[in-house]
Amino acid sequence: MKKLTIDERLSKNRFETDDHNPHIVIDKDACKTCSHRACTYCCPAERYKWDTANDKLSFDHVGCLECGNCRLICERLNQGVPGYSWNYPIQGMGVIFREG
Amino acid sequence: MAEEKFQVIIIGAGVAGSAAAYRLAKAGREVVLIDRGDTPGRKNMTGGRLYTYALEELMPGEWSDAPLEREVTREIMMFMTREDSVSIDTTLSSQKQQSYTVLRARFDAWLASKAEEAGAMLIPGSTVDGLIIRDGKVAGIKTGDEELEADLVISAEGVNPIVAERAGLIKPVNVKDVAVGVKYVYKLPEQTINERFNTVSGKGTAMLCVGECNKGISGGAFLYTNKESISLGLVVDTHSWKESKLPLVDVAEELRQHPALGRYIEGGELVEYSAHLIPEGGYKSLPQLYSDGFLIAGDAAGMVVNRGFTVRGMDYAILSGIAAAETADQAIEAGTFTKSFLQNYETKLKKMVLKDLESFKDSHDYIAHTQHLFTTYPNLAVDMMNHLYKVDGNPAKKIPGIVKETIVGKLPYFSVLKDILKGGKSL
Repeated sequence: MKKLTIDERLSKNRFETDDHNPHIVIDKDACKTCSHRACTYCCPAERYKWDTANDKLSFDHVGCLECGNCRLICERLNQGVPGYSWNYPIQGMGVIFREG
Repeated sequence: MAEEKFQVIIIGAGVAGSAAAYRLAKAGREVVLIDRGDTPGRKNMTGGRLYTYALEELMPGEWSDAPLEREVTREIMMFMTREDSVSIDTTLSSQKQQSYTVLRARFDAWLASKAEEAGAMLIPGSTVDGLIIRDGKVAGIKTGDEELEADLVISAEGVNPIVAERAGLIKPVNVKDVAVGVKYVYKLPEQTINERFNTVSGKGTAMLCVGECNKGISGGAFLYTNKESISLGLVVDTHSWKESKLPLVDVAEELRQHPALGRYIEGGELVEYSAHLIPEGGYKSLPQLYSDGFLIAGDAAGMVVNRGFTVRGMDYAILSGIAAAETADQAIEAGTFTKSFLQNYETKLKKMVLKDLESFKDSHDYIAHTQHLFTTYPNLAVDMMNHLYKVDGNPAKKIPGIVKETIVGKLPYFSVLKDILKGGKSL
């Protein structure tokens, strides 16, 4: 069976995207000091990636499945330290499950 | 400023929230059901199956038109190594409508519509940002620029209960009490599913697997047959996965590649890829269930029991929704919404939901800390069968020889004894 990239998988879903208001906010510069970078391998939608060329975290809230796993594995998101916050998208935006 | 005041506001039109709204509306109360999806169900996901006794409890004899998928009449437990598998296949034709597979986008929309028909006011597409708290009592909710007031707020906001957490009404969810699930839904013709599972329309299979699929991490794979699709997914303990440093998206993809699982979805069309958390901490991680003007139900309250062979959450969510509605109804009748009055909620829950959670209070710890369940035992089961069925022209061995060859040096006898004894007590 052909392997599917995460983008191929996410393309099957419907999203009502709010490009300008990310529901999850992180401080990519501050993320450099993170000791585990667990978001890069625990997010089921692979929204967090370590950009090795620029030695910086890249994050895209579009395509987020709103599971909340990052809220629990990232101490900064969990505690909501300055520069970090986790919320659900507002007013019907974000992922729309047609199966569920 | 709030323009009008309701008797009860329920956050979240999942199964707990809609069950509570249905009951309160039936009792003639002014109830608002608010959901962040543009239609209820569109933010929700399950494996999954629903045990019907809870629906019967909610609406006796009135759930025959519920959009359930297939009645589960076959249960498969599977152990797998990288290429092979061994299954325990159970057919239960004697059980009548005990459980059905379900897809939440359809089911939740239906249940919320039942609540609406009964008189509840549904506000979809609205994310609750916070609570109105006055003199230490919950007095309503905030969404966008709007405020809505109520005598009582029921949080059925789901596994990430950020509204209740941020209001300081419950302790924050602990990373060690949660598992993460990912799911593929494959569309296949109804007839193809019937043929692949040796069954007829309306009847279905539930399958749970451990071994290579979860890489030795507490968790497992699942497969449920729906009417015209198959749900295939993986659940792993969030904290252990973080420690493992394995890429979740790649391991989820391996699931589809395993010959014992991939054959069921072969030729199907992927129609959805979703993810969701599961509150698995059980009794020991239960939050404060009631406060002044406030109750919490379903996943938000952590009402899930995972015993390995059965995982239950939606039935408890419905029961907790019913208990919350009954408590709210009595509070309205009495005209009091104090914490001490609302303690009745816990008393009601103790009769059933909390009783189960307490009985299996050690099951999460047992499963999470019994490494052999996910590594040694699946390997042994497959190895043993592999030897048993082996015919390669070499002199054949008798069964005791096979057993000896399979287990010597691979089975930590003392640990096995400990696992059996502890398992018996916990599960």
